[in-house]
Amino acid sequence: MNSIIYLMFLAPIISLLVGFLVDNKEEAIIFWSKIIGLGISFVAMIGLFGNFLANHADPQFIKGLTLYHAAETEFSINFFVDGYSFTYLFLTNILVFLIAFFSKFYMHREKYYKRFFTNLTAFYLGLIVIVCAGNIETLFIGWEIIGVTSFFLIGFYRDRYLPVKNALKVVSLYRLADIALLLAIWVSHHYYSHSINFNELQGLESTANHVMSNEFYTLLIPILFLVAAMVKSAQFPFSSWLPRAMEGPTTSSAIFYGSLSVHIGVFLLIRTSPLWEGNLIFSGIVIGVGLITTILSSYVAKVQSSIKTQIAYSAIAQIGIMFIEVGLGWHIFAMVHLVTHAFLRSYQLLVSPSVLSYRVHDQFFHFERPKSQNSNTLLDKLKLTLYTLSIKEFNLDTWMRNWLWNPLKKIGNFFSFLTPKLTGAIFLPLFFVGLYGVYHQDLLLNSGILSYSPVFFAVVALVLILRSFVERLSALFSWTLLLLSQLFITLFIGFNEQFDYSQIHMYLSGVIVCGAIGYYVLLRLRNQSNDTSLNQFHGHVYVYPRLAFVFALACLGLAGFPITPTFLGEDLMLGHIHENQFSLLILTALNLILDGLVVFRIYSRVFLGIHEKGYHVSSYRSA
Amino acid sequence: MKQHKFDESHILHQLGHYLPGQLALKDFVHHNSLHSFQDQPFFDGIFNACDTFGIVVTFNMNEYRKLHQQGRIKESVIESVIDRIKGPSDLISWKQKMLSGSYDHPFNPRIGRIRAHWKSVYKVDIQNMVQPLLFRIINSYLDQGIALWHFPFEDEGLINAIKRLDKNSYASFFKTARAKQLLHSEDLSIHKLLDILVGKEEYFEGYILDQQFSHKGWSGLVNAIEHNPNTLLYSKKIELKDFIILELLLEIDALDKKLGAYWKPLAWDITIPPIDYWAKHTLTELEEVLQLWQEAFEWDYYDEVLAGLQFSAKQELKPIRKNPTFQTVHCVDDRECSFRRHLELVDPDCETYGAPGYFGAAIYFQPFGGQFYEKNCPVAITPKHLIKEIEVPNHRGKSIIHTKNSHTLFKGFFVALSLGIWSAFRLIKDLFKPEMQADISDAFAHMNIAGKLKVECTDTSEVENGLQLGYTISEMVDIVYDILRGMGLTETFSPVVYIMAHGSSSANNPHHGAHDCGACSGRPGSINARVYAYMANHAIVRGLLSDRGLKIPNSTQFLGGMHDTASDEVAFYDVDILTEVNLAIHKDNVKKIEIALDDNAVERARRFASIDIKKGVKHVRQAIKHRSVSYFEPRPELGHGSNALCYVGGRDKIKGLFLDRRAFLQSYDYRQDLDGSVLANVLAPLPAVCGGINLEYYFSRMDLEKMGAGTKLPHNVMGLIGVANSSDGDLRPGLPLQMVENHDPVRLLMMIEHFPEVVNGILESTPSMKSWFEDGWLHLVVLSPDTNELYYYNNGRFEPYDTIKKINVRTTNIKKHIAEAPEMVTNDILDATKENMPVHVYENH
Repeated sequence: MNSIIYLMFLAPIISLLVGFLVDNKEEAIIFWSKIIGLGISFVAMIGLFGNFLANHADPQFIKGLTLYHAAETEFSINFFVDGYSFTYLFLTNILVFLIAFFSKFYMHREKYYKRFFTNLTAFYLGLIVIVCAGNIETLFIGWEIIGVTSFFLIGFYRDRYLPVKNALKVVSLYRLADIALLLAIWVSHHYYSHSINFNELQGLESTANHVMSNEFYTLLIPILFLVAAMVKSAQFPFSSWLPRAMEGPTTSSAIFYGSLSVHIGVFLLIRTSPLWEGNLIFSGIVIGVGLITTILSSYVAKVQSSIKTQIAYSAIAQIGIMFIEVGLGWHIFAMVHLVTHAFLRSYQLLVSPSVLSYRVHDQFFHFERPKSQNSNTLLDKLKLTLYTLSIKEFNLDTWMRNWLWNPLKKIGNFFSFLTPKLTGAIFLPLFFVGLYGVYHQDLLLNSGILSYSPVFFAVVALVLILRSFVERLSALFSWTLLLLSQLFITLFIGFNEQFDYSQIHMYLSGVIVCGAIGYYVLLRLRNQSNDTSLNQFHGHVYVYPRLAFVFALACLGLAGFPITPTFLGEDLMLGHIHENQFSLLILTALNLILDGLVVFRIYSRVFLGIHEKGYHVSSYRSA
Repeated sequence: MKQHKFDESHILHQLGHYLPGQLALKDFVHHNSLHSFQDQPFFDGIFNACDTFGIVVTFNMNEYRKLHQQGRIKESVIESVIDRIKGPSDLISWKQKMLSGSYDHPFNPRIGRIRAHWKSVYKVDIQNMVQPLLFRIINSYLDQGIALWHFPFEDEGLINAIKRLDKNSYASFFKTARAKQLLHSEDLSIHKLLDILVGKEEYFEGYILDQQFSHKGWSGLVNAIEHNPNTLLYSKKIELKDFIILELLLEIDALDKKLGAYWKPLAWDITIPPIDYWAKHTLTELEEVLQLWQEAFEWDYYDEVLAGLQFSAKQELKPIRKNPTFQTVHCVDDRECSFRRHLELVDPDCETYGAPGYFGAAIYFQPFGGQFYEKNCPVAITPKHLIKEIEVPNHRGKSIIHTKNSHTLFKGFFVALSLGIWSAFRLIKDLFKPEMQADISDAFAHMNIAGKLKVECTDTSEVENGLQLGYTISEMVDIVYDILRGMGLTETFSPVVYIMAHGSSSANNPHHGAHDCGACSGRPGSINARVYAYMANHAIVRGLLSDRGLKIPNSTQFLGGMHDTASDEVAFYDVDILTEVNLAIHKDNVKKIEIALDDNAVERARRFASIDIKKGVKHVRQAIKHRSVSYFEPRPELGHGSNALCYVGGRDKIKGLFLDRRAFLQSYDYRQDLDGSVLANVLAPLPAVCGGINLEYYFSRMDLEKMGAGTKLPHNVMGLIGVANSSDGDLRPGLPLQMVENHDPVRLLMMIEHFPEVVNGILESTPSMKSWFEDGWLHLVVLSPDTNELYYYNNGRFEPYDTIKKINVRTTNIKKHIAEAPEMVTNDILDATKENMPVHVYENH
């Protein structure tokens, strides 16, 4: 079985690599290499499905690679497939296949033909990893792949302003979901004292003693999953990103933001449902979230005057209903609803440009002027209030900015006195002192310093990254602060626990290599007298596509993209925060969120957006 | 600046003049995108527009030089262009500047400079804070039928509606008290709001221009609707002034929210002087060089065409056919150029003619059951006649997938469960076996093939909304006479004369109107063809015509038809009127027309990467048909892409000249009109119709992002009135990439077969037409019929033109050359231009 499942993942990976070798105008090679990759993967999936049926459709657990193994921690890639997995797999394969064929013609002669198919394949890969994941760590890998490809798909037209801005907006929110998952890994790790596989979830109960009460954990763990699911499925209050994700070609909106990507939250809930089945409070929360979302977004959908945003909001409303169904325990029904709904929205988006001629024609013959609105009674006034709020999408977009990102900015601005020189003068010596301390902890043993050190260094790391987050002038400085912050993180881990330094070294190797590459790119750009300030998008990718590509890789490395050492390190390090160290946990989580934001922000501001020059065409900012 | 007083009506007038003029997308009419600069000579105008708006109006130096290196612009042409424009003495220095001068392309548009101070002084991004909500409000207000819940009080005007909504709602579009207060204040005006925002009156105008041109799509549409309210079926009361007030209020609101009380008017400590946005500027040296390059780029092609024209004209005149087998009258449209050529190749004894595709019948059309009228004539004409469809045997179907029920909560739930799986099968079918659906715009559905029309008006008191129902006999006589006379079709009529309109079917295409007939305001011309045929067949009309000297034999019958330029299919109307003899002839003709359509499809297919010509005609026809009904096909046809020429004259003079579907063809016989009195009427609609198409393609191709609509793949349909990118974007007027990518942006070269002094007389008596040519927005060459010498209209007079090149591509098998022509590798101009075929001379026997 193992070999089949590996084939399922390897085929798209190989076709990805083939794609990198050819030029954008070789449309046939690009297309067929992807189709063959996807096709082999499809066939492997069917083989897997046959095997599944032959085994009386019992859920199957497949032990995979162990990436890291130490005394009490293990990071392995395992798979778990059951009926839900196969349903989603079939849905994914059919849609991706059909839309790939659709796009063969639709994307013809598009400037970024190759990039589209690359992202399509990567997205597919991420999805099948998620639905076949056997543990949260594996699921997280797929999750991250989807997050990053989303960034590229939404920002597909990278030389315009709005796609880039919205890609950044969406990926920032996704980061929140990522961290929720990481925290879920951490909490369950401590709660069950080992990495949990999805096949063991049934009746899993911890016998160990815990800092907090059992009830607390049984609520916290599913809530973390719920947050991740809510973000990805655009549930209240995270709804406003979905209409703004419709920036790429209609086909990519149709397949991902109309269907496959946005339903993954429902799948995640079903997958983790053994954790909370019978937990009435949590079921209530899920139903509540679904209900609020459904009601609000169906009103917002009613007032949408553009076709894609209308489809987006009515999709959110239906997904809200699916949340309710899952909350009620109707998993199979929710899955049926999911599949049919995914097909419907996908198709509606694909043919959405037709709506203009169709409805105008219809109107020509059957127009009825809507009844005019009254404003006399209380009911009228309530209706008008609801109308106004729906037009403003219940202020969700501004809410997101004001409550999630602005506080971080405010705190960050508090440290804006840290100039490059001052930062160097304070933090470099501090780092070396700390470094000395880590390797000579015995010297400090007797003083009380040791117990405060981890928190101290975690705070320093956070300060640095906050400062990096609000830096507006120099990309280079922001990047440096980011690197420094990562160094201090390793310090606090080093102080927190006695353990094998190899884990730290693995993490550091990633940070240092990626950091150095990124630093070199930014330096080179600046030395060729380019503006690399961060207060606007510069679109340097127009002139430096290769540098941009290298820098993107460095960014992925720093942001902990799967298969980079930083990713492994991130996960392992989190494991070294003890169960009782909530303050450290929060500091680290914040740091990881910001780390992602800063990296994507620097990349976007420097390389993406409008490249306004007189010698070539560039778009209006509002376009 | 001259005046410091702010004059609201002046700025509104200026905006009305300079904003894009595109109407709601269903009424797509091509027009010169820079019509507001047309009072200046072409290059002065476009470089002024470039200065003001930062648009790109020519290729850059590098691209021209590469075009030269690859042979697209020949050295001899460069020299002759310099010689003509700069004089022979400066030849060497200008040539050196063109080939190796070193220039920067500066970029510092005037628009936006004043408002840029919000960012530099207050660190606020005012566009970001205001535009998304502004667009959402205006789109909801104007929405024609996407939202299920319409904007309340939309018949009261935008500001009044918002006032009333604000007063009667517990929520508000505004977050702060002052903006709300201002909204409800009695003396709300642009001036008052600008006082708060800008402060100094001399900057007011500039601020408004900056603001409105930061989203010229929406502003342009609001302005267009204000002046043409009929472009919306669901009428809305809207004024640009209200829209500006709303935006100013939202800006004050956003600034108050962000900065609290701590902000002063923008102009408080502004250091730059007020900007004169429309200041004329003299061309810089770079611009002069670019002008030379662009002229050379154009003349390299024109010269070849003119050489071909002269060659072809000098051939012995083909004998006048005594008995043409059949005659077809087509629209002047460039896409009919190849269809006519193939008809003539299939049957050398047939004759083809060209005239603007509304065939003189400027009408409003009301289909059976329709609540509105459709305008079917050039946009500049206001019809006085209404043609009603009074009976149809069948109705168009419904498309279940666009049901609004899928967007409501409970119905949506059931729709998802029931339609979901069906959609998957629909998708598979659409992909592998596409066919016509209710939501595909079908050119043949514009008018029911079997419907009955009321064409004749027997009682002139029958009036509906000020429009006469049908035509009176004398009106019919005029129309029939003018068209036939204009084309020179006055004798030797064939038994069946086809009046062949055109339209275009396409799926998933909000821009479908741009593919339909430009002379019918972006609609299929089937109704006009049918009405014309009816009039020409009318017995009393025939009698009166013969009184005027135009004798049409009784055996001759006119038959309306329509050519679908996307699917390459033809339909005929009222075939049942044909006599038995003519029906037999018609059936025979249809076979020939089908063969011509086969060949036409093959010729078009050479530019479509997805069609393999080698697989045979049958395959090509099917593939071409599929394109027109495929949702995944963003190029159902290539529209007017590559249009460059317009020929007015006898068909015999250019028969045998292969122009690669790049020419508008108007038939005209100078021999019947030596004094040019008919010619004046024939020419009248051409500059606006053909020039409008040509210049819109020119500017959309040169600046796809700021003048064109960009690639259409991410387009989102807004309110059924336009397209935008994403949810928060501005409307995108202009043409999308998929329509212009194969277009060589050259100005239209109009060629007229007549004596220069006659044409000159017409120009002198119609200044509006003269300015098109005198200011260089179009080129004009006259072919003198007696000597076959060419005269170029330069600086207001005709100068003899000697071609540089000689035509030497002669062929007996033009179809083979077409099949072997190369296809572009990428849509970069350097590759795209290679797809055009050279001018050939072919044997037409």
